[in-house]
Amino acid sequence: MAVSNNSKESAHIRPKEQFDFLHDERVRSVFYQLLTVAAVGLAGWYLISNTAQNLEARGMQTGFGFLKVAAGFDSYFKLIPNEAGVGTYGRIFIIGILNTLYVSFLAIIASTILGFFIGVLRLSNNWLVSKVALAYVEIFRNTPFLIQVVFWYIGVFSLLPKVRSSIDLSGGAELLLLNNRGLYMPWPILGDLFWMTGAALVIAIIAVVILKRWAHKRQDKTGKIFPTFIPSVAFLILLPGTVYVMTGMPLGWDLPKLEGFNFTGGATLPPSFVTLLVALSIYHASYTAEMVRAGILSVNRGQYDAAHSIGLRQGRVMSLVIIPQAMPAIVPPMISNWMSTIKNSSLAIAIGYPDLVSLFMQTSLNQAGYAIELVGMTMAFYMVVSLLISWLLNIYNERVQLVER
Amino acid sequence: MATIKTMKKNAVTAPLSEISVLGWIRKNLFSSVLNTLLTFVTVYIIYTTLKGVWSWGIVDAVWVAENRRECFAINVDGACWAGVIAWLDNIFYGRYPREELWRINLGIFFLFMWMVPLWLPRVKAKISIGMTTVFLYPFLGGYLFAGGEKGIFMQVMLTAAVVCLLVNTIHSIIGVFSGRSLPEFFASLSNKKNICEKTQRNIFFGFLAILFVLIYVWQMSWNVERVPWTKWGGLFLTLVIAGIGIASALPGGIVLALGRRSRMPVIRVFSTAFIELFRSVPIITVLFMATTMFPLFMPQGFVLNKLVQVIIAVCLFNAAYMAETVRGGLQTIPQGQFEGAHTIGLGYWQTMGLVVMPQALKHMIPNIVGNFITVLKDTTLVSIIGLFDVLGMLRSIGKDLPWLGLHIEPLVFGAILFFLICFTMSKYSRHLEAKLSTNHHN
Repeated sequence: MAVSNNSKESAHIRPKEQFDFLHDERVRSVFYQLLTVAAVGLAGWYLISNTAQNLEARGMQTGFGFLKVAAGFDSYFKLIPNEAGVGTYGRIFIIGILNTLYVSFLAIIASTILGFFIGVLRLSNNWLVSKVALAYVEIFRNTPFLIQVVFWYIGVFSLLPKVRSSIDLSGGAELLLLNNRGLYMPWPILGDLFWMTGAALVIAIIAVVILKRWAHKRQDKTGKIFPTFIPSVAFLILLPGTVYVMTGMPLGWDLPKLEGFNFTGGATLPPSFVTLLVALSIYHASYTAEMVRAGILSVNRGQYDAAHSIGLRQGRVMSLVIIPQAMPAIVPPMISNWMSTIKNSSLAIAIGYPDLVSLFMQTSLNQAGYAIELVGMTMAFYMVVSLLISWLLNIYNERVQLVER
Repeated sequence: MATIKTMKKNAVTAPLSEISVLGWIRKNLFSSVLNTLLTFVTVYIIYTTLKGVWSWGIVDAVWVAENRRECFAINVDGACWAGVIAWLDNIFYGRYPREELWRINLGIFFLFMWMVPLWLPRVKAKISIGMTTVFLYPFLGGYLFAGGEKGIFMQVMLTAAVVCLLVNTIHSIIGVFSGRSLPEFFASLSNKKNICEKTQRNIFFGFLAILFVLIYVWQMSWNVERVPWTKWGGLFLTLVIAGIGIASALPGGIVLALGRRSRMPVIRVFSTAFIELFRSVPIITVLFMATTMFPLFMPQGFVLNKLVQVIIAVCLFNAAYMAETVRGGLQTIPQGQFEGAHTIGLGYWQTMGLVVMPQALKHMIPNIVGNFITVLKDTTLVSIIGLFDVLGMLRSIGKDLPWLGLHIEPLVFGAILFFLICFTMSKYSRHLEAKLSTNHHN
């Protein structure tokens, strides 16, 4: 250490850092990083060269050209038209994605609603109700999802009656019919002028939003509460309703009718779809319920007391004080739960619902080969969805953090 | 006007509504009209559900029958448990040779013996016991389950494992009775007082060496028959896959989590990419990747069997999930701990190994148990790619000729089995959470 004895200069002279090549943190850091790159690179090169050799030895083709080749099979459930032997593998990929997203989307909505409901029951001050909700949560969380899916499929939806003795879910009106071929329901036929009703609905929604904002501002200024609920509901029903009637009711319903041995008309959801939807909703609702419960319990007890003491009614205590504070604790895990709903929909493969994994990773892979491309594309899809969802989550977190003080 | 009483007033007993059963019922079930209504509706729902389940599963159920037709002949409305009972061995052990089942039972018993000391309060050196469970038990268990000829490496590891198990057990028994560790106990056997730590250690290692030689010589004389992996199945296979998955996930997860928090950009990017890749895809796609792409990755002529493929896939997948658990645990450690460790001159690995990880692991234990439950549940997916794990076995009951079409009962049995295992573990993890919690606020 070269510390000068000269008292004048001692304040300016710092001991000169000795550069020890072997023990310097920066050198080591660069060294370790190079080592990592080398190790990963070598492993990657080894795997790639092995793969290339294997592909050559087995005479397998690579590349994405197969996406333009017609697939020799078709999915029995699809949202876009397709035909076996005509539709390409690229189209099969899109059908798979749509099927996955379709069932997941409905399941996410159903499980969120059901989960909130169960979560509230779990907090009920009725002992019996809260214990039943607890039993629900524990039963569905502690058994494998795959067993649940298979159970719903084999134990419930395969035992449904035949077409002739369908179960009528609409109570004799023959609108919603359930049998071992699936769920039959009416499907709307849109008339020419129906877009005007839609437009009216959009206008009504915008108007209601403006009304709410205005009411909020007025309350901030004058302290008077403007009742918005009844006017909003009235407006939302009346405006589109009037337009609908004035344009001559341009909406018909295609009803399921029994003809011969099967129903024709309406829309059909195959049993595998209904099974997956039910299983996903029930399973993920049990997780949502716990999140809702934990979120509401995370709000400090003092907040209830304070809200009550300033004279708010029970409903307003919840909607103005508790729920807004519970949401930041509920929403992030719930969004992750949505992601696992999408991932778990891949268990469709166990019951033969044609989702992306079952169409693309199983059927296409067996028919066409191209293992690397098919596996890569399927995984890439899930990764894109996951990235989108974490992006959503980040936006939400940022917004919540701005509000927080 | 204030009055002052000088006589002591008798305490008023709590109101009846607070202490009596009727009071409790009134408060918790019938406190308002809505609540009363809810109670009745719930009671009705519970009654109908339980009645249905009870009569199907217990009252009308058939417990003894030769085949499904006989079940129907006895009672059509009830469950046919006879099929499940007939297949019970298969559900637990798969197609493992029946005369060799003792090996599985013994292996599980050894694991149990190895791990019990972790729960005994007076036993010392729990970290070593835990570490040896992860690193040495697999050789003992693996050899018992798979059998066959032992190579020199296997012989050494097997001996080490047996030595370790013996020493562990002696150590724990001594620990329970005297509260001392084994080296301390040896030292106390000789009458000299104050034997220094080094001598204690030497005596202990000498003891280990003698034991090692004895057991090495003994183990050369016996062998167990080889059981190919294709015969493995049932709950046993599920537990093997999940066990290896979780045991390897912990070290893998720690490395990945440290990598993700590292200040070196390259390491951080690689770790993050690995974690995010495996966390964003469903496990079934990873399993498919394992069975379709791993054969392509291997050098020509080298064939991985399906079980190994699956285990590798499960390990990779779980390491990514465990990494996030570990990262969560690391985030609970305040920055001051890192700074404190640096101040007293500890390096990176010392800081992590001696200061941060022990604290973080304590926070993580409930989540690790939670992870184990998830792994166990997810392991049922291997039945989709054709392994006969517990779900695979349950589903093949309905394809067995005498029990053709018997699907629901096996599934219900499987659900109950998993529920018992998972529910016990989740209760235990909650108990641990309460026990380990050191923050005393609220």
